[in-house]
Amino acid sequence: MKNKKTLIFCAIMAVLLIIPLFTSDPFVLRIVTECFMWVGMAITWDVMAGYTGYLNFGHASFFGIGAYVTAILMMKYGWSFAATLPAAGLAAGLAAVIAGLPTLRLRGAYFAIATWALQLAIMQVALVLNITGGPDGMRLPPFLHPEFFYYLMLMVVAATFLLLWFLLERAPFGLKVKAMREDESGAMALGLNPTLIKTEAFVLSAVPAGVFGGIYAYWITFIDPASVLADIITDQAMVMAVFGGLGTLIGPVIGAVLVYAFKTYFWAYLSDYQVLYLIILGAMIALTVVFLPNGLWGTLTGYTGGKKSLKKGVGLDDASVDDTVEKKGAEHV
Amino acid sequence: MLILLPQAIVDGLMIGGIYITIAIGFSLAYGVMHIIDFAVGEWIMLGAFLGYYLTEWTRIEPLFYLPVVFVLFGLIGYLFQPVIHRVLSGKKGNPLLMALVFTFGLALMFKGLGLTIFGFYSRSIPSNLSAGSLSLEWGNFFVTIPTIRLVGLIYALTITVLLNLLLKKTDFGLAVRALAQNKEAAGLMGINAKRTNSWVYGIYVGISAMSGVLIGCTFSISAQMGAKYTVLSFFIVVLAGMGYLSGVPWAAILLGLVQSFFLIYFNPGYTLLAVFVILYAVLLVSPKGMFGKGV
Repeated sequence: MKNKKTLIFCAIMAVLLIIPLFTSDPFVLRIVTECFMWVGMAITWDVMAGYTGYLNFGHASFFGIGAYVTAILMMKYGWSFAATLPAAGLAAGLAAVIAGLPTLRLRGAYFAIATWALQLAIMQVALVLNITGGPDGMRLPPFLHPEFFYYLMLMVVAATFLLLWFLLERAPFGLKVKAMREDESGAMALGLNPTLIKTEAFVLSAVPAGVFGGIYAYWITFIDPASVLADIITDQAMVMAVFGGLGTLIGPVIGAVLVYAFKTYFWAYLSDYQVLYLIILGAMIALTVVFLPNGLWGTLTGYTGGKKSLKKGVGLDDASVDDTVEKKGAEHV
Repeated sequence: MLILLPQAIVDGLMIGGIYITIAIGFSLAYGVMHIIDFAVGEWIMLGAFLGYYLTEWTRIEPLFYLPVVFVLFGLIGYLFQPVIHRVLSGKKGNPLLMALVFTFGLALMFKGLGLTIFGFYSRSIPSNLSAGSLSLEWGNFFVTIPTIRLVGLIYALTITVLLNLLLKKTDFGLAVRALAQNKEAAGLMGINAKRTNSWVYGIYVGISAMSGVLIGCTFSISAQMGAKYTVLSFFIVVLAGMGYLSGVPWAAILLGLVQSFFLIYFNPGYTLLAVFVILYAVLLVSPKGMFGKGV
């Protein structure tokens, strides 16, 4: 089983690696590169929503922080692009610690509100500060090598995926996170520190988002608050993860590819009806929640995140697991 | 600078009055149904646009339409609540988390709907009261109170008092309070939880939409305004303590004051940041709200 998964992963990576050898059409490369970015955004969003059970309604703030840190360091301080990426990730992680520490102690609703308010607040600040260029945004020096960004984005997203997969599915950290999601007081009784674990998970979800933002800034060469801090970024990552299936790493990847393909098609052929896209996104979230609560992947494979991981980790039988999960539903969030 | 102080305080009270009405229904819905409705701003937006079109078609003072908007949106909320109930009582996954996601999806959908139908322009509802204002003067200080804002404050206080009477003096209110305290025990006493929840949700949606009309008369309305009011109502409700109704007016007035002081004395661009910092401080020091009585 494990070998099969590795094989599939390697096969997909191999195909993706040789795509630029067959086509040098910048349009195709750009579409695929952006698709990678959304896969990354969806899996990092899912770290919070699927694995810790906290909804982050301000994922765009980390993306935007990363983009602005890269742009500011490159343009105002003359750093090289490679040096700005770690700084972008660091800044996003720092923001996550600051925003997460007070709110992650509380129930999920507070966290959801606080992250959303954070995004709006950061957008307001980016609109009025001088260093961010206000509503005019910032321009970066053009670097017109689509292949470079293709490989860079692919590598960063693949590295993020592997890191998350290792930490959440193979390392003890994943078990801690899941234990905490399923039963917080139970996890505390076992000597775990929920706030610390949740904050770690939040940082784990924010840092890659910041790095994606940094790459995006240099790739698109123009950023402004409306493009990197907009609600639509969070919304889209959320639709992708929810539609694909929360609590897994594969689900959001599939969701991201499908939703992104749909978005590209929609914008290419129905661009007169752009606002319809919002309605479709919203309807997709609402309908998925009502009819496919486990998402596409969860429904297809019967993998319901929580229950299986609990069984695997703690060795409970089915009945008692069902019981805990249901009780949990009543008091969580 | 000091000369503007009374004006800042009065403005804060007036803006706060409007915020009371957008947060009080929200707090009620949370207290009873334990649902965080991310679509609150969108209900306000839809209500405002209904008021706008009714006024445009008939040219009658928009304030007369408040009951119409309330009844219409109350009905929509009443009919809509079973869907949310279905999500909330789902067996799969984490229902409360899913309900949050669900209302977020709704908000997105309504926003898209609003943009499709109403476009990107800002409008305001023409009211006969919009132009008038009262001026008070004593010594060096003077205060100008736009009539429409005064009406807003009176409206807010009326709604608060009525809601309080409804909750404290009627059988329906007793049922609502019982449900908020203990759902199962209330069910054993013969309270129909589903129907009561539907009524509460209807009242909440109605009040939000009605406040939208008032906001439309006072400020401007656009299809994108929802997010701002959602965040503001969250802020008020968290500050007051989730589900603690009596705290809402004070928190709303505090927010109004913060906003008017930033508008007059600092850069209005930092208002939302200030709001976030206060929210952050409250969550850090007293997560149950200013009065420590939230749930």
